[in-house]
Amino acid sequence: MNRQRKTMKSPLLHTLALAATLLTPAVMTAQVNRTKAPPAGPAPEVHLGEHKSLLLDNGMRVIIVENHKIPIVTAQVRFDIPPIMQGDIAGYQDLVGELLTSGTSRHTKDQIDELVDGLGAQLVGSNDGIYASSLKRNFPQVMDLMYDVVSSANFPNDEFVKAKTRMMSQIGARTDDPDQIASVVGNALTYGKDYPYGEVTTEATLGKADRDDVYQYYRYFFQPKHGYLVLVGDITAKEGEEMAKKYFGSWKGAEVPVTKDAEGHDVVKDLGPIIPAGAPPRLPKDVRVAFVDRPGSAQSVIKVIFPENLKPNDPMATQAQVLNTILGGGVFNARLMQNLREDKAYTYGAYSSLDADRWCGSFSAGCSVRNAVTDSAAIQIMDEIAKIRTAPVTADELSLAKSNMAGSFARALEDPRTVARFALNTYLNDLPEDHYETYLKRLDAVTVADVQKAAERFMHPDSATILVVGDKAQVAETLKPLSTSGQVFFYDVNGDIVREDRTEGATPAPAGMTAQIVLDAYIKAIGGKSAVEKVKDLKKEYTTKVQGMEASMVEYYKLPNKYAMEMKMGEMVLQKLAFDGTRGKMMGMAGEKVLEDTDLDELRGSSYAFPELHYTEMELVAKLMGVVDIDGKKAYRINVKTMPGGQFDEYYDTTSGLKLRKKEYQTQEGGGGFQVVTDYADYAPEAGVMFPRTLKQKGGMDMTLTATKIIVNKGIPDSVFTVE
Amino acid sequence: MASITAVAQTRDIKYSEFDLPNGLHVILHEDHSTPIVAVGVMYHVGSKDEARDRRGFAHFFEHLLFEGSDNIGRGEYAKYVEKAGGVLNANTTGDRTYYYEVLPSNQLDLGLWLESERMMHAKVETKGIETQREVVKEERRQRYENQPYGSILPEVLERAYTVHPYQWPTIGYMEDLNAATEKDFKDFYKTFYVPNNAVLVLAGDFDAKKATSALKKYFEGIPKGGVIPRNKVVEPQMKAEIRDTVYDKIQLPAVVQAYHIPALGTPDFYAVDMLNRLLSNGNSSRLVKNVKDAEQKAVYVGSFSLPFEDPGLAIAFAVANMGVSPDSLEASMDRQFALVRNEPVPEAELEKLKVQIETEHATENSRMAGIANNLANAYIFLGGTDKVNTEVKQYLAVTAADLQRVAKKYFVPENRVVLYYLPMSQKK
Repeated sequence: MNRQRKTMKSPLLHTLALAATLLTPAVMTAQVNRTKAPPAGPAPEVHLGEHKSLLLDNGMRVIIVENHKIPIVTAQVRFDIPPIMQGDIAGYQDLVGELLTSGTSRHTKDQIDELVDGLGAQLVGSNDGIYASSLKRNFPQVMDLMYDVVSSANFPNDEFVKAKTRMMSQIGARTDDPDQIASVVGNALTYGKDYPYGEVTTEATLGKADRDDVYQYYRYFFQPKHGYLVLVGDITAKEGEEMAKKYFGSWKGAEVPVTKDAEGHDVVKDLGPIIPAGAPPRLPKDVRVAFVDRPGSAQSVIKVIFPENLKPNDPMATQAQVLNTILGGGVFNARLMQNLREDKAYTYGAYSSLDADRWCGSFSAGCSVRNAVTDSAAIQIMDEIAKIRTAPVTADELSLAKSNMAGSFARALEDPRTVARFALNTYLNDLPEDHYETYLKRLDAVTVADVQKAAERFMHPDSATILVVGDKAQVAETLKPLSTSGQVFFYDVNGDIVREDRTEGATPAPAGMTAQIVLDAYIKAIGGKSAVEKVKDLKKEYTTKVQGMEASMVEYYKLPNKYAMEMKMGEMVLQKLAFDGTRGKMMGMAGEKVLEDTDLDELRGSSYAFPELHYTEMELVAKLMGVVDIDGKKAYRINVKTMPGGQFDEYYDTTSGLKLRKKEYQTQEGGGGFQVVTDYADYAPEAGVMFPRTLKQKGGMDMTLTATKIIVNKGIPDSVFTVE
Repeated sequence: MASITAVAQTRDIKYSEFDLPNGLHVILHEDHSTPIVAVGVMYHVGSKDEARDRRGFAHFFEHLLFEGSDNIGRGEYAKYVEKAGGVLNANTTGDRTYYYEVLPSNQLDLGLWLESERMMHAKVETKGIETQREVVKEERRQRYENQPYGSILPEVLERAYTVHPYQWPTIGYMEDLNAATEKDFKDFYKTFYVPNNAVLVLAGDFDAKKATSALKKYFEGIPKGGVIPRNKVVEPQMKAEIRDTVYDKIQLPAVVQAYHIPALGTPDFYAVDMLNRLLSNGNSSRLVKNVKDAEQKAVYVGSFSLPFEDPGLAIAFAVANMGVSPDSLEASMDRQFALVRNEPVPEAELEKLKVQIETEHATENSRMAGIANNLANAYIFLGGTDKVNTEVKQYLAVTAADLQRVAKKYFVPENRVVLYYLPMSQKK
C-alpha cells in the first residue's frame, strides 16, 4: 500500500483509505512473518495400538487388531517357510500362489472366482500363504472360502498347465523390461545362483516343473504348526477369536510322508529333497562391472549390489536404517537424490536400500539414467558409498533422517495392518517383545558415530558388483575404468555370463580351413610333431610380480601327464599344485586340499606340456570360428568346448602359426564369473621346440610371467608329482 | 438388495468447506485417530491448458514449484518437510496439478506456510530450470521410452484426439520442454496459480477452528487472480475406426483398443465405468475369464476408463499369450464387447459389480492423504465436495439397461482407435 505518501488529509481521501482497509483485511491482519518457517507445536504422542494374540490347539498363532474406522476386515494366513533351493525345476514356487485359488475339493476355479467377486472380496495367494479382504458383512463367507483354499486346494493339472504356459510367455518376454532384468540378474549376482534368493527361473527349469512339485510343496509347507492367522479391521477381538477357532481350530494339515537323503534333508515324494539355504553368499573380491545388453535402450539401469550380513534382530539394525536413509533411502534430501538428481540432473530418481533379512540381507543403490551419463552416474554412486564410510555424516543429515524415520513410523500406524505386521514380524524374526514399542527411543539415540560404525560395517565400495542394463554399443566400453580388472563382464537375462559373441568382429576363415589344420600348423611352427614328442619331461622357470613383490613360478611336466607347479615369494610358498596323472592336490597358505570334481578336471586339463596334441583324447571339441585381429595380427580363433559346459578360446597367428592368446572363462563362487586372458609372446627355441618367454595374464589376478629357464629332458623325480 | 445395505455400511467422510475472499476454496476434514495431517492444494490446471507448442509444460512447472519462493531458498522446500518428519509430493494430469504434504499434526502451520509460499511468490532460478528440464526428460525416458508398452498412452492419445489438447500426454515432448522460456513460467504462474483456481484441503488431526485462523493468516493475503482462461475445444465425433501398428522392444504382441467415452461426472460415465469393471475387475470378469483363462489368448488383459474432465477414453489392453496372433487376440476381445452390446447383463452379475463398487468405496477413504485428494477432486470435477460420499450412488443407480445402452453407444468399432504392438523384429 502507499499510505505513507498521503500527506494531504482531505475527508474524501480518508474515506477511501478506510474503504481500502476494510476491503483488504488480509493486509491488515497479515502480521504473519513469512520469512521464517513457523515453529512446531508440542510433539504429539505416537500410540502403537493394541493387538491380541492367541495360540490355537493345532499350533497356529492368531493375531487380531481391532479398528472400526472403515467397514472392512482383512485376513492373512502366513506360513513360516524358510528359503529352499528350487534347483532344476526353478519357478515352480512362483505358481503356488495363483494355483492356490484354482480349485479345492469343494470348489472349482470358476466357482472360487465367482464367489470372490460376488463378495466384492480380494483373495490373493502366494507361496507362503494368502491374503483376503472384504466388507465386514461378507467376511464370514470370505473366511470360509479362505479356509477351504488353505486346507484343501487340489491344484488341478489343467489349471497348472494354463498358469505354466502364461508364465513361460512372461519368462520369454523378460528381455523387454530393463527393471525386471536388473532385478533377476541383480539377485543372481548378489546372492549367487546356488543360494535360494539368487536362483533364476528359465524356460528350461520351469519346463521341468510339474503339477506334483507345486502340490507337494503346498502340502509339505502349508501346515498349521508353523502358520499365522492375522485378522485386522472392523472386527472385535472376540469375533476374531471365534472365527479363527471356527474355521482354523480343527485344521490338522496334510500328512506328508518323508524319507531322508544322505545329508539328512527331508525328501518329499514327487517333489524331491527339501534343501535349505546353504552358507550365506560372500562379498565379491573386488569391484566388477556386469553388463546386460538391451540394444536400443533409452536409458541405462544401474544397480550397485552386494550381500549383507544383516538380520532384523541385529543390534545395529536401526543404525543401518538411518545410514541408508541418509545415503538414499527414500527421502528427497538423501545424498544420492541430491547429487544425481538435484545437482547433476542425471536421473528422475536415485535410491538405495539396505535390507535386513532373517537369512541373508542385501544392499542395492541405483537409478535409471540417459546413456551418455551412465559411467558418470555409476562413479557418483560408488563415490557416495565410499564417502559415507570415510567421513562422518553431518548432524543436520542425521537429524533429518531421524525425524523422517520417526514420521514415517507414525504415518504407517494410520493403517491398522501395520500393528498386525509388527506383531507378525516380532514372531517371525525373533525380535524382543518390545521391539516396536522401543523403536522411537532406539532411533532417537543413534549418533553420528553410530552411523559411521554402521557405514564401516555395511558399505563395501571395494567389494561390489556394478550391474548395468543398457545399450552395450553405446555404454559398455565407458564402464571399464570402474572395474578392478578393467573388464566388463556380459551377462544374459538369466544371469549367465555371455561367452563373447563368436562371430563378432570375425571374418570367415578361408574355405577348407579347419581347427585341426590350425592346431597342426601350430605344432609345426613350434618345431614339428617329432621334436615335440621327444620332450619327455620339462621344467619351466618364470619370474613375476605379485602385489608388487618379486615372485617365482616353476612348472614341471612329465609324460604321460604328470604336472606340478610351485609359486614362491622369496622362500615362502604361495601355492603348489600336484597331479600324478589321476589324483591332484593343491597346497596354499590356507593348507592342503585334495582336488575333486571340476577342480580336478581343470588341473588334468593343464597337465600336458603340449595340450594341443591331446584335445581329442581329452574329449574337447575344437571349432574354427573365423579370423580376428589380435593387436594388429590376423589370427584364427579356435573355440574349445570342455566337459561339462565350459569352454575357452585360442588365437593362432595366421602367418607364423604360433599361439597368440588364450581366453578362459572362470566361473565364480557365488555365481557369475570372469575372463582370464593370457597373451603369449617372445617365442624362442629350446631343444628344438619354440616356447613363449613372455606370458601376460589379465583378469582374475593380473601378472606378467617371464621365462628365465626352460629345461628339457634333464629328468624330474616322480616325488615332485606325489599327491599323498 | 446389495444397494440398500451398501449405503448403510459406508461411513461418510465429514467435512466443512468455505471460500476465502480471494476465491480460495477450503475443505477441512477432522480426524484424530492418528497424529498426522495431510495438507493438499489442487490447482485446476493440467496439460490440457498448455499451448500447443509447450506440451508438457504444466508437469514441468510442477517440478519447478519445489524450487523455492521469496522466503525459501533452492532445495529448502523439501528439507523443511522432511526435517519435520513429513513427506511431500505432487502429480499432474491432463486436468489438474496436485501438491501435498503429510506431516506430524504439530507441523500443520509449516504445511500452510509452505503451500502459501508456493501460491504467493514461487521463485525459479536458471539452475533449477535447467536441472528440472533434464530431470523431466529422464522421467520421460524412464516411464515411457525405456518400458515395454510404455508408449501406449502417447500413441493412443495422438490418434484418438484430433483437436482437443488431450492429444498429447502430460509428460509432453522433448522439443517443447527445450523451448520453454522464463516468460512462459511467469505467464503460467500468473494465470493459473492463483487462489481462485485452487482448493486447499486439510485432513487429519487438527482443530478446525484453530486451523481456519491459521490458514487465513497464510492464504488471505494472496491476491485474487484474473478470470481463468478455459480451453473450450470440443473433439468431434469419430467417423471411422482408426487402426495402426506400433513396433516396440517387446516379445509378446499386444492389442490396445481405445473407445471415446463421456466426461467424468456425467451419468453415462458411471455406466461406462461399471461396464469396464464388468469386463475386467476380478477373475470372474468377462475379459479375464474368457480371453485370459478359458481361451488362453492373453497373459494379461484389462480395461479401464480415463476419468477426464472433458470426454475421455476407455482403454482395453491385452498382451498375447505365447504363439497367439494379435488378430486372434483381438477377435477374442471383440466377442466380449459384442456380447455386452447384444445381450443384457444378468441381474446377478450387476449385483456383483455393485458389491465391488461398495467395497472399493469403503476402502478408498481409509487414509488422510487419500481423503484429502478425494475431497479436492470431488469439489473440482464431480460437481461438489459431497460427491466424496454420494458418488457411489451414481454407480449403484446404473441398471442393466444402462450398461447395454452405453455398450451400444460407445463400445463400437467406429468410435475407437486400435493399436497392435508388435516386436521390432517384425518390422518390414
